[in-house]
Amino acid sequence: MFGFRLSAQRPPEPRRIKDDVVMRFDHVYEVSPDKMTVFRQQDLPAWDTERIVGSRWDHLDWMHRHFADKVLGMSDLGLREDGTPAE
Amino acid sequence: MTLDADNDAENTAELSREFAEQWRDPAYGCFSSGHKFCRNVCPVMGVTQNENHSPTAFHANVVAMGQGDLTVEDVAADYVHCTQCGACELRCPNTLMAGDFYRARTRTVDVVKAMRALAVQSGVEQPRWKRWVEATVDRRNEPVLDVPVSQDNVGRWADGLGLPVGGETLLFVDCEAAFYRTALPRAVALVLQAGGVEFGLMREQWCCGGPALEMGYVEQSREFAEHNVADWRAVGARRIITLDPHDYISFTEDYPRYFGDEYEFEIVHITELVAELVREGKLTFTVPVERVATYHDPCRLNKRKGIHQSPREILRAIPGLDFRDVDHVTQWAYCSGAGGGLAIEKPELTAAISAQRLDRAAQLEVDLLVSACVWSERPLAAAGEERNIEVRDLMELVAESAGIEVTT
Amino acid sequence: MTTTAISDALYDELVGILGPDGVLVDKPARWNRTRTPAPFPVHRWRELVPDVVVLPRTTDQVAEIVRLANRTRTPVVPRAAGTGLTDGATPMRGGILLDVKRMNQIREIDLVDRTVTVQPGINMLKLNEVLQPHGVMFPDDPASYPCSMVGGRIGTSGWSLIGARYGHTRDLVCSMEVVLPTGDVIRVGEGGGRKLRKASTGYTLKPLFIGHEGTLGVVTEATLELVPRPQVEFAAFFGYHDYQTAWTSTGALAKSGFATLAGVVLFDEWKLAYLRRDDEAYIEQPDWLKSVVAVAMYGNEAEVVPAAREIMRIGRESGGTYLGDEVSQGDWAARHDRYAIPLHGRLRSGEVVPMSWHCEDAALNYSVLPQVREEWHAIADRYIREYGIFDDWGMFAYTNGAYKPWGDYLVEIDIGIWEQKLDDTNWEAWLACKREITEVTLKHGGSISACHGASREGDVEFVPTELGGGFEVMKKVKRALDPNNVMNPGKYLLDRAYQGDQEED
Repeated sequence: MFGFRLSAQRPPEPRRIKDDVVMRFDHVYEVSPDKMTVFRQQDLPAWDTERIVGSRWDHLDWMHRHFADKVLGMSDLGLREDGTPAE
Repeated sequence: MTLDADNDAENTAELSREFAEQWRDPAYGCFSSGHKFCRNVCPVMGVTQNENHSPTAFHANVVAMGQGDLTVEDVAADYVHCTQCGACELRCPNTLMAGDFYRARTRTVDVVKAMRALAVQSGVEQPRWKRWVEATVDRRNEPVLDVPVSQDNVGRWADGLGLPVGGETLLFVDCEAAFYRTALPRAVALVLQAGGVEFGLMREQWCCGGPALEMGYVEQSREFAEHNVADWRAVGARRIITLDPHDYISFTEDYPRYFGDEYEFEIVHITELVAELVREGKLTFTVPVERVATYHDPCRLNKRKGIHQSPREILRAIPGLDFRDVDHVTQWAYCSGAGGGLAIEKPELTAAISAQRLDRAAQLEVDLLVSACVWSERPLAAAGEERNIEVRDLMELVAESAGIEVTT
Repeated sequence: MTTTAISDALYDELVGILGPDGVLVDKPARWNRTRTPAPFPVHRWRELVPDVVVLPRTTDQVAEIVRLANRTRTPVVPRAAGTGLTDGATPMRGGILLDVKRMNQIREIDLVDRTVTVQPGINMLKLNEVLQPHGVMFPDDPASYPCSMVGGRIGTSGWSLIGARYGHTRDLVCSMEVVLPTGDVIRVGEGGGRKLRKASTGYTLKPLFIGHEGTLGVVTEATLELVPRPQVEFAAFFGYHDYQTAWTSTGALAKSGFATLAGVVLFDEWKLAYLRRDDEAYIEQPDWLKSVVAVAMYGNEAEVVPAAREIMRIGRESGGTYLGDEVSQGDWAARHDRYAIPLHGRLRSGEVVPMSWHCEDAALNYSVLPQVREEWHAIADRYIREYGIFDDWGMFAYTNGAYKPWGDYLVEIDIGIWEQKLDDTNWEAWLACKREITEVTLKHGGSISACHGASREGDVEFVPTELGGGFEVMKKVKRALDPNNVMNPGKYLLDRAYQGDQEED
């Protein structure tokens, strides 16, 4: 759904990944809130996290295209995903 | 009289101290980096090249104020030079690379608003903004230039369309659209009807209050908001459709701050709604639009909210259109210059920014620049005239291609 | 409301040259053209502001300003983007801050003789956006690529992340127009040619005007190299169980001899620990990952593909584990954006605090990298424990030579400094830390700065020692070209070039 509802903007509760890192949204790491008592965190609604994460990937794609038309990966070199030869 | 002056001075100093303290950490978040990636995407810097107007300076001034080096009187005029487009705070690596991780991002738009509010509270007012806000308070709607503005006329754009007042879904019509570019809300209303969307109008629509807030007039902004929300509640509205990104920002960012958890309206922006209608086959494009066009990402949709796909989806569905796109990341640096009160206090800067935008469009050899923000369309159209490029709103094109005749 | 710190007469003359909107005296104008991103003594900001800001648009205006400065003995401090890391653009004695951002025109694109001629106030990313449709590129790619400007790149003699393939700033400037400290305007290049790449006519003057930090004049136009836009980009990040293996692997990759190799970067263990804090590519990497080597290649597909296969083999055979396409490509694309985020800063308790980024930039040979790393981290550790306002963000070593990805490295230790806590004591502590780091560099036969410049406190004290007799020559050159000491006075200890006069008085 694309409409904005304030109640849907509250981020889910954090689950711990490592000592200082938690996760609320899938694939989005966050600092453990207890490390942010000197510099306070802001009220960041869910749409804002989504905007930042999406924009980051778009920006990185843009930066690739800015320097060259094609980015080579392992498949372009005839290698396996882990970089080892296919034979 | 001396006592009042002393009290005022003390009051100002106290307000400034509180301000500098409240904004100290966000300001250092920029100042301690100082890498100025923001400058290249700032539309005002693009025409003035004056570091005073940079997002970096907007933060650094707060640090300097905290040390007693600068006062609000020293800096207020510089903060006029901002359209609040949000490019800087998005491009800033603090946001783009780490803002989600730390739940702390660069907030230039908020800093600019807060400094403008401090200036107003300290008695340092910009003359045209002061008159503009006074007129808005007086007429309940913005004194959109060149045409008479009053509550009697606010719904006149809808004459003959038979739109009801009230209901579960309301269409909120931006002042510039309601009074000036009236073809736009008419097109939107007809498009929604054609798509089978039921909606009504407000009983008494006031300005959303966004511009007043952007210019630093906080109390007035809140008054408008309270009236509008009371009106929505009075007619049982649950969903508000916005046709202009400025209102979408007001209703999804400012209003929640005013009303807190009680604010349970669903806010829907027109491009998202229309894209879905097209996807679901409820709205079909049957009339080709044989034009060569490019799209202007409105700042408050693209940069501020991340809405850049639905307008393109719509444009790609319009038959006959030679659509020459510029990607939405490149457009972080683009702007019409109309936002944040800049067009009111410094119209020559807005004109210069729009001129740069049209120069970019001209490089693509288009004859049409499609925008999705009614505030951008006036200065863009003026710049377009000099380059034989027509400027139209996306929804006007939608109506045309859907075979809907929009009479005025 | 504002304080005019210059005389009315000087103000009037400047307005006569530039018009009123080219001359700014208001406090915000001066306060906001003082610091550069390097750690800054915030508590002493007001001591470092210029007296007036000027915004010229033409070479003639710059020349007139400099002549006026000579007549009135007023300092002139040139500033392009103000994104340098050695305070080159921070005034030491007030004066006229010459802001070149309105000199941002592209004068000419020559696709036949392969040059682009620009004014100094243009940013490389913006320049390359214009060049892209023509299939060419100006390949000067520092970490500050999205924000620095050509004038500053020349002023500092910048380094490029892809310099092993394309060269650095000084290799990419064919010729320049320079306003000398006396106001005379000359062209320096290869001999007298504007678009030549190599000449042997007369003294080789061009390098003198690259890296002088604004002490020998103002560059007002530059004719730059154009290279073909790369068809392909390739980046590979390898992970290692220990630094020593990674260092050996770096050496193997760097001397592999492939012309398309653009750079090799070695990340040490402290850098990995730091990246695990907040970098999504590293947060959940396995514990065995202690060190990383990144490789980047650019060129035509036909040449990069076979070379990249070989690089992958060399990386693997020297002990590296490929970290995958997503990490490699994402991290390489983010190479301009990861550095200067203040919230990277941590106290020893793990608390996040905003820190300013000190980026050391010593030039050191391959053979001493492991030892320097140990000594530098030991220094950082002492100051962190004693003062509590510093943080160690780890080290990078980047291939440094133009076209030669072997031999020497730009060696970087990244130190975070909690600027909100700066006072005289903490600032002196920072300088002491910086000096210890520099001493290690010199002990190991390195140079204080590979690319930022060495004109700020903590570095500059050692310049005469490092250069030896070369510093005497430097002073003579400065004195000869700038008889009245108007250009960025005080920088690089060059007041010493004039001290003979004072003794005679």
